[in-house]
Amino acid sequence: MGVSLYLLLLLSVDAVGRPLVLHKYGVSSTQYEYFYWLSDVVLTLGAFLLVCSLFRRACAGQEKIWDMLLPTLGAVFALVLGISLATLHEHYKNLLTIFMTEFQQNLYFACLVLNTLLYILLQRRQSEDEELAMTVCGLGIQFAGPAANFALVYLAQGNASFQALYQYLGVFCTIGMLATWGYAVVHVPQPAKVASKERSPVWASSALRS
Amino acid sequence: MVLAAFILISSTALFFFYLQAACQRALNTRFEQEYFRSIVNANRLEFLSLRKELEEYGHAVDYGRLRMTLKCDFLALTYLLKNAANVNQSYSRDESLLMFYFRALFVIVAARRIFRLSEKKAVLKLTAILEYFANVVGQRVSQYRFGNLAPSDYLLEL
Repeated sequence: MGVSLYLLLLLSVDAVGRPLVLHKYGVSSTQYEYFYWLSDVVLTLGAFLLVCSLFRRACAGQEKIWDMLLPTLGAVFALVLGISLATLHEHYKNLLTIFMTEFQQNLYFACLVLNTLLYILLQRRQSEDEELAMTVCGLGIQFAGPAANFALVYLAQGNASFQALYQYLGVFCTIGMLATWGYAVVHVPQPAKVASKERSPVWASSALRS
Repeated sequence: MVLAAFILISSTALFFFYLQAACQRALNTRFEQEYFRSIVNANRLEFLSLRKELEEYGHAVDYGRLRMTLKCDFLALTYLLKNAANVNQSYSRDESLLMFYFRALFVIVAARRIFRLSEKKAVLKLTAILEYFANVVGQRVSQYRFGNLAPSDYLLEL
């Protein structure tokens, strides 16, 4: 569900929104640049929310852990959203400077850290949900590439060639993520998922024990 | 500045980590049967004998031959992936990702050779990718019926 919503958002931004604005205002217009970067922020925040929702799936059957994680994840997301909106509002007039690079670098890295925590949780729990593991790997590719690229641009003081690299790296990472997700959907068998769904209900287990 | 450098280093490391993790998980996929054997025999691929050699001796006897064998097998299998029993005549996204992973590992093997480090693990990963490709081709071919031809006969006539 979460993945489908994120894909819908990605599709509407990348295949509908951006081409429309590009067609109307042109590639070198300020409007297009503003739309491009602000929609990138929306996509990253959407991906952050998706990672939060994947924590729910990783904690399936462990309500205690989920009860503890839910307020933490909610608070982290509210914090990231609040800081993002406040910072963007403050720098809205000079958005297309080195500020955007630093902002995106931090946002992507925050997502990457959260995603890595989820991956570690899956490894520690020795989860057999291969589909979830592949989804997390795909998101890791999607976050890590741009985060590294933005950090490189920041360190190179906005060097144009490193900035141009994002056009290719961003697309490569998205293709990598979609390939991983596609593989997870098409090829990965889901014995663990089925097993957890077909687990006997509580009343049956207690009856068996007695 | 320090934070950006930290983010650059850790993100780059995590990028390659996730890429490797995704590819390794894809390679762990089990097929219904060992389709790769008929493909290896029909096309006289050598990666299986190379793997056996590595497992027995711990290193390749001839590094030049190792590189050439892997490269030739890779070219043969990617050609078959694209053209053998493939209606679209193109690679799927996960196949493209694994091809990229193969090329990256190929560079790593060369780098390890330069720094005099053991390349056994990386070469075994390369043969695992080739085995996966052979399995995919074998599975595709086995799903088609070509009269009385067996998959290996079909591939020999390709």
